[in-house]
Amino acid sequence: MKRIIPVFFLFVALLAQPHPARATIDDALTFALEAADPYVKEGYTVREDYWGGDLPVKQAKAIVHQLFKGNEYWFWMGTDKDNVKISVHVYDSDGRLAEAESWQKPHKAAARVVPKKTGTYYLIVEIEKSPEERTYWSLAYGFK
Amino acid sequence: MKKALIVIFAAMAGTTLGQGEVPQSIDIHNLPGGANVVEHVVIPVPSEIFSVLDKAGKPRWKEVLRPVSRNLKTPSEREQIALLLGTVIAEGFVAVEAEEDVEVKNIGNTVIKLAKALHVEASVTKRANAIIDNADKKNWKQVRKELDAAQRDAQEAMHAMQDDDLSQLVSLGGWLRGLEALTAVVKADFKKETADLLHQPSLLDYFDKRLAAMPKKMQDKPLVAKMRKGLGEIRPLMGTEGSDISEKTVGDVNAIAEDLVKGITVKTNP
Repeated sequence: MKRIIPVFFLFVALLAQPHPARATIDDALTFALEAADPYVKEGYTVREDYWGGDLPVKQAKAIVHQLFKGNEYWFWMGTDKDNVKISVHVYDSDGRLAEAESWQKPHKAAARVVPKKTGTYYLIVEIEKSPEERTYWSLAYGFK
Repeated sequence: MKKALIVIFAAMAGTTLGQGEVPQSIDIHNLPGGANVVEHVVIPVPSEIFSVLDKAGKPRWKEVLRPVSRNLKTPSEREQIALLLGTVIAEGFVAVEAEEDVEVKNIGNTVIKLAKALHVEASVTKRANAIIDNADKKNWKQVRKELDAAQRDAQEAMHAMQDDDLSQLVSLGGWLRGLEALTAVVKADFKKETADLLHQPSLLDYFDKRLAAMPKKMQDKPLVAKMRKGLGEIRPLMGTEGSDISEKTVGDVNAIAEDLVKGITVKTNP
């Protein structure tokens, strides 16, 4: 019984903790939203929904997303890990680079798109450099 | 000195020196770095499409608005409630465009009622109250944000309860009402460039795939089967990207979307 009680409390304590993956994606989202902040002042509406996950270095992930001609979009990527280089780039349905501009900074990367046509676009996110085996990332977007 | 200048220019541009290495094109059938596709699809909110319509003309949003019954009867089937929640939130975006604060507040209260029926009211009530408060202040930008957040919070609560299928139905309901409103506006003042907004095949394919993956018991529900059939009818009308969408096609999509939304709201008006 004496052995069971500490094990029980450890189990309860583990259950009480927020899901670690979710918590880390949320931390990454904080940086993505921090990147978005100056653009909100420019009139961009930031969506409440977002993407997130974890990736090894040099392995990209693709996000299929619908964009509408007539709007402008910014995609903001974030990670909470230090010494990490991340990137996001946007391609149209023919596979052509569609972004008007992009940038990379510590913890953040972003790309702006002014769609030439309404339709499907491919967002390619990548961890270019990281000291970690896998790095959590999050991607938010805004439009105006 | 040269090196210092390069660093300064790079810092001024806010970019890294690796910027030039971005591939100018990729093969979307063979993505770079063996990339696989993220399953999560973010469905555009109606205001994302409405903002394009606002730039292209002056839509008569009050004519598009379909007020939600003050005494809306909550359906007995969870599938219909989820679809209805999506359409009501989408109606909120139309009401914001029409700047109808009384209707927005009614929608806020209806969202609470439907969320309660789906046992997700704890996650949604705060947002719905914020919708009502901001409608009172006519803070339309914030109302749009809270409508978006209300839907996300409801869907996250459903996900936590392993109700992902219901969560997809919320998205579908919202998308269909948004599509109905979009086609109504385009039909009223047809322009090739606004009709172009109907090119949404990837969203249609996504919904079709999600409906097909639902348990048979759910798929066999007449309303869910009706949704799938309707999506199948809309799919060929949306054409391929770059092709023109005719006035007749806009009307046809509008008729199908209207019929599907009617199916969702049936028997909810006392």
